[in-house]
Amino acid sequence: MMRSRFRDQVPTLLVATLAGTFGAFLLQVIGLLEAVISADDVAGSSGTVALMLAIVATVFIVIAVYVSAIVTANTVSTVVAGRTRLIALLRLIGSSARAQRAEIAREGLVIGLAGAALGILLGSGLAFALERVAVATGTIPEVGFDYVTPSVLLPAAAVVLTTWLASWVGSRRVLRVRPIEAIGNANEAARDELVARRGRHGVALAFVIVGALLLALGVVVGLASPLGVFIGLVGGILSFTGIVLAAHVVMPPVLRLVGRVLGGSPAARLAAENAVRNPERSSRTTIGLVIGVTLVTTFSVTMQSYRELLLAAAADRPGMEQAIDEPLTITISIFTVLIGFSAVIAAIGMVNTLSLSVLQRTRELGLLRALGFDRAQLRLMIVAESAALTVAATLTGLVLGFAYGWAGAQALLGSIQGEPRLVVPAVPWAVFGVILVAAALLTIAASVAPARRAMRVSPVVALAVD
Amino acid sequence: MQIQPSDLGLIARVAGLGKRYGDGAGTVTALDDVSLGLRRGEFTAIMGPSGSGKSTLMHIMAGLDSPTSGRAWLGDTEITELSDSALTVLRRRRVGFVFQSFNLVPTLDVRANVMLPFELDGRATTIEERAWIDELVATLGLTARLRHRPHELSGGQQQRVAIARALATRPDLVFADEPTGNLDSRTGREVLGLLAAASASAGQSIAMVTHDPIAASHADRILFLADGRIVRDAPRSTPEEISAFMLSMESAA
Repeated sequence: MMRSRFRDQVPTLLVATLAGTFGAFLLQVIGLLEAVISADDVAGSSGTVALMLAIVATVFIVIAVYVSAIVTANTVSTVVAGRTRLIALLRLIGSSARAQRAEIAREGLVIGLAGAALGILLGSGLAFALERVAVATGTIPEVGFDYVTPSVLLPAAAVVLTTWLASWVGSRRVLRVRPIEAIGNANEAARDELVARRGRHGVALAFVIVGALLLALGVVVGLASPLGVFIGLVGGILSFTGIVLAAHVVMPPVLRLVGRVLGGSPAARLAAENAVRNPERSSRTTIGLVIGVTLVTTFSVTMQSYRELLLAAAADRPGMEQAIDEPLTITISIFTVLIGFSAVIAAIGMVNTLSLSVLQRTRELGLLRALGFDRAQLRLMIVAESAALTVAATLTGLVLGFAYGWAGAQALLGSIQGEPRLVVPAVPWAVFGVILVAAALLTIAASVAPARRAMRVSPVVALAVD
Repeated sequence: MQIQPSDLGLIARVAGLGKRYGDGAGTVTALDDVSLGLRRGEFTAIMGPSGSGKSTLMHIMAGLDSPTSGRAWLGDTEITELSDSALTVLRRRRVGFVFQSFNLVPTLDVRANVMLPFELDGRATTIEERAWIDELVATLGLTARLRHRPHELSGGQQQRVAIARALATRPDLVFADEPTGNLDSRTGREVLGLLAAASASAGQSIAMVTHDPIAASHADRILFLADGRIVRDAPRSTPEEISAFMLSMESAA
């Protein structure tokens, strides 16, 4: 049983390992850069640079850990949904709900530890490889950097704690499994999927309203001072948290809209229904990706606006324009890649959740086969479902990101020319293009394994009584 | 000229059917040279103790499984020779299923579940079919439930939805696998009455696998299986007669 318990947790381990690797890698590279800079420190400014680098690294690590925590909580929820029968059976023979939940949280701790350890090894290894390449090509001198530093333990500890915590949060539904579910018919739609959560709605609404007001205030203050961006930042975090909390309300309309585009074939219509009719499941699957895309878009819209404003200001001095543009473009690109890593973690989370949820629907797929769905239709259904989820998440992320990005740019840059002015949001087409291509790839990647598995399902499983 | 099953008034037929699992010393024989015909418009019960091969027989007759030897027909179509995709289309258009665990699609409401076979076929319903479905839904007492989803229904209601779905396409044959296995006895009787009525009034051919003598007593004909063979072919019987025969089979074994 232990083996099967951990097998469905592989996605959790993957996410923890990725976050751990990212954190360790960034800190090692920062440490390496500090060593390189202080080695030929003539200006004595290495302290400031080191501090700046550390702050930047912290921000990106926090974002990556935050996204991976949300992805982990959602993955654990999906895992628990798949284990309902087993949990019910254990409850039936006398285990308490609390003990069952503690067991899953304990798994989270073990997985977090394993992921963090793997992350340190992989991240440090990657940083070492990068150093060797840089030294070999003469980009940096040999500084004899020591990779055994206590500082890498910080992101590792963050990964352990968040995986543990996210497992605890994600395992909430264990409490709602009733022992009786071990007996009798297994209708896979648990009632709790539809239970209204008034409390959660209220909190989410309050977050969105307060956040939006602060965001507006930030924009207004931004007309007078760039400090408005900090008010806007708080507003952005609050309102976005509200949206994440209310994902099961926000996502279905988007999914319905996207589902309509899929077309009228029975496979496409069923896929659209699948994506919409279980709001809890579909919001679990998509929200990580929404967060990832929103972050990337917000960041790149703000930065692109900033860049275009600077370039416009320097337009009459050609040499200046060149001098500003190059380092700025490089900086923005690096930051976009770093923030994009969170989107990658989210994408992997989505692939996993979709796989697991297809795995859990074996009986339903067998039923469709028994009723006359052929294999190609089944595959089409899974691909269409994957596409609906990916497209909906990407669109939502792009729209939200664009709004936040514009608000950010306005709050940051509204007063930059000494007088209040409206900032026209710049569209980072290259980033949008990358996001769309990545979304297309993700649709395929997310559906390959589940579709293959679905096609292997025999119609006889629908008749079996388990 | 070969005699077709339909010439004999049969809706389904199997001849010399055998199904074995594994090989060598560990071979398990689920079906051993079974030949039978199901008559059009009849409600047939297939009975037998656990492991008698009744489920395997049903799976093969419904095109869900393939036999090791022998042949099976649905109507005049020999299904043992069909490809997977041809079998899929056959199940879609000519077979209906009612399962023990109801097996409705949880994401779809009652109406969509009943319409599913047409959805899967990618076609709209004709006026005549719609009238039939409306009649079915009314007969089964589901009119007020059309917008509900499966988990909002009781077991008996879910099974009635499954029956509506199975009958909606007017299939050649409806297979019912222990349809009352998950229901209380009163609801179970109701469901059996509905199946018997579909057979008597609409001429629906039904094959029901069960080990419950009371369920089997609703059928026009009862086939008894033991150790992969048909041991008795009985007309309509009372639960007492069926139980008595089942007990005699037990003691003979």
